[in-house]
Amino acid sequence: MPQNDESAAPAATPSASQNATADPATPDTPFVPGKITVDRTVRLPSITFCMARHQPSGRVFCGGADSGLHHFDPAAEKPEPKALSDLRHSSYVTGLVNAGNVLISGGYDKSLIWWNAETGEQIRRIDGAHERWIRAIAVSPDGTKLASVGDDMKTKIHDVATGNCLLDLDGYELQTPHGFPSMLYAVVFSADGSRIATGNKTGKVLIRDAHTGQIQQTIETPVMYTWDPKARRHSIGGIRSLAFSPDGALLAVGGMGQVGNIDHLEGKSRLEVFRIDTGERLHEIEDSKYKGLVEKLQFSGDRKWLMAAGGDHSGFLSIWSMENGKLLAQEKVGSHLHDFVLLSDRTLVTVGHEQASLITLAAAADTV
Amino acid sequence: MSHSGLQRVEVVGPLSGIQSRRGFLSGAALGVGGVLAADMRSVNGLRAEEIAGELRRGEKHVILLWLAGGASQLETWDPKPGARTGGPFGAISTNVAGIQVSELLPKLAQRMHLTAVIRSLNTKIADHGRGADLMERGRLDDPGLRYPDLGAVAAKELGRLESTVPDYVSLYTSTEGRRKGTSGFLGARYAPLFLAENTAPPNSALHERLTAAEHQDRAALRDLLSKRFAAEHRSNTVGSLNSAYQRVQGMMASAGLFNVEQEPAEVRARYGPTQFGEQCLIARRLVEAGVPFVKVARAWWDSHGQNFETHLELCADLDHCMSVLLDDLQERGLLQKTLVITLGEFGRTPGINASLGRDHFASAWSCSLSGMGIRGGVVHGATDAEGHTVKDGEASAADLFATILQALGIDHTHEYMVGSRPTPLADFGSKPIQAVLA
Repeated sequence: MPQNDESAAPAATPSASQNATADPATPDTPFVPGKITVDRTVRLPSITFCMARHQPSGRVFCGGADSGLHHFDPAAEKPEPKALSDLRHSSYVTGLVNAGNVLISGGYDKSLIWWNAETGEQIRRIDGAHERWIRAIAVSPDGTKLASVGDDMKTKIHDVATGNCLLDLDGYELQTPHGFPSMLYAVVFSADGSRIATGNKTGKVLIRDAHTGQIQQTIETPVMYTWDPKARRHSIGGIRSLAFSPDGALLAVGGMGQVGNIDHLEGKSRLEVFRIDTGERLHEIEDSKYKGLVEKLQFSGDRKWLMAAGGDHSGFLSIWSMENGKLLAQEKVGSHLHDFVLLSDRTLVTVGHEQASLITLAAAADTV
Repeated sequence: MSHSGLQRVEVVGPLSGIQSRRGFLSGAALGVGGVLAADMRSVNGLRAEEIAGELRRGEKHVILLWLAGGASQLETWDPKPGARTGGPFGAISTNVAGIQVSELLPKLAQRMHLTAVIRSLNTKIADHGRGADLMERGRLDDPGLRYPDLGAVAAKELGRLESTVPDYVSLYTSTEGRRKGTSGFLGARYAPLFLAENTAPPNSALHERLTAAEHQDRAALRDLLSKRFAAEHRSNTVGSLNSAYQRVQGMMASAGLFNVEQEPAEVRARYGPTQFGEQCLIARRLVEAGVPFVKVARAWWDSHGQNFETHLELCADLDHCMSVLLDDLQERGLLQKTLVITLGEFGRTPGINASLGRDHFASAWSCSLSGMGIRGGVVHGATDAEGHTVKDGEASAADLFATILQALGIDHTHEYMVGSRPTPLADFGSKPIQAVLA
């Protein structure tokens, strides 16, 4: 759901400290994960939709259905979530990023809040930042710009330092082709901060210049939107996650394939990967083993592989080769995952339905 | 049986009810003496107020907006903002002080003075089939006895014998959870005109080779021959066939009611672009033409996954279309004669599952009643802080059925005789919810 950019992409090569342990990879051998291990789980106080790692403290912050922010130390032997503040949003928190020394959250209450991560003090609050629910936020890699998207179908760019709205961008229909309210679910910055990509319910991706808002590319992923015209007469799906490759050449789009019974998240989890310059689709991946929405995507540093998290009732974490579209590793992880952040190039934390999981990636060779 | 107002439904031949009313109406034209001379085989007694009631037939209507699959009470009539179970939507004030509804119903919130909400339904059955059986009929069938649904009861109690329009129209064009409805022991005469594939009755146009005059001549000849045959062979089957032909002729004559193209463009635009909007407009047209009961099923609310997204779509549809419907009925002077109901087979769980869905739940849920016989701007009953249980004013399906009948001016204790078995219109022990009645 949220698209946080502050966590570094997994490095193409392992760190020196990891080399010193049992990792057989060398600096000349790119790390290719072959196994996912859930090391620990942490009970969270509510359904959790978004998370960010506060770089100065190493703590992980998360937000969700209880409208507040919580944090825990993933390195602790028994991580214990604590409330950041008594102050809260007035509805679900759906986006959370770390920008320098502050955290910024966005939520269904249409507000954006700047937080002091140490004291819990609200530094700035913009109520009515959008006219409808804020679905996701993202911060530029240099921490100067905040992008937000909402069900008013607007994309807005804010100055992190002042909170001023720099760009207020349209480009999406307010309603689906079937006359119902549409939704704008995902936003992400490119690694160099020059572009943003957004994705809506009906499968439309807009790639824009992050400075001017000019649309540079339009990509359609209509399979991710299921409209049931006969049995149930409503829809499900939409683009739920986006990721630029580190070199800015590729864009990955996540969601769910066509759904038969839209009462449930029973569609195959779905990825599509495009070349941005031509719009050519390089990969179209549907996974029938783990169904549901792909809620978070992240490329490896060398763009050799792509990590996807999501789920139906259950959660999954999958890693796909971007060279041939094959599955490299996959694991059931608790219940439906909404977000993850990388702690190192081989460790990460996921959050989902009232649970966080601490996860280790191992190279395929490690598992032999 | 000495119970005044008790009506015998002879083991239930399809014409038993119609015969009594046919006799009554033909007699009514001649005066009360004529009434007494009418065919009384099926009627045990009549009272003066019933005569007046009979003359008022055709002036009362019901539009049932059937929220098939089970809408969430938390996202409609009983919001719990801030509760763990409350979901992401806020509650908004209505135009009635002290009453709030979900923010997903902003237009209906401004029409709260027309609507009574019951927040305390505890109907216990949380599977689609039996839940729908219960909420459509106000009780579950007994062994050997199939009860009529609300539409059939309304058709019998409110329909006019000589009406050229159908008494009970049911629109259910989605396929999931589709149910035809049942007239139960009242027989086929009160079964719905069921429209599943289109929004107009199939095969209702005059055959292209026939002129209207030829069609009338044929009908007259058929009528003559069938009466002669019926005089020699008294049988319910023959009578039923005659009735069916009359109804078909009426249907053909009223087929235009289903054609919303006959409405001005601005009226169609007002109802909006969705199929539900179109069907609400058809419901208004039918009611205006005298149809006593119209059911418009809006499927499918069964949001085990993505409950909030589903309700964003479906509530927008409900909020807009029902608001326009209420306005339109009111502007035409029809709302005081029309009861508009929102109801489904159950509500949804307060608990939110891992797919961000809500599951089936029948222990503490809501419905709404607007218009005829209803005291608008009231809420009956209450649930606990998280919506798990009813804490005040618990109401059963039978209580709701009794309330609806009372709102329509129909005595819910009135009994049909099914064979030798007295059967009240609403289940034994049911009590109308007086707080919502005008």
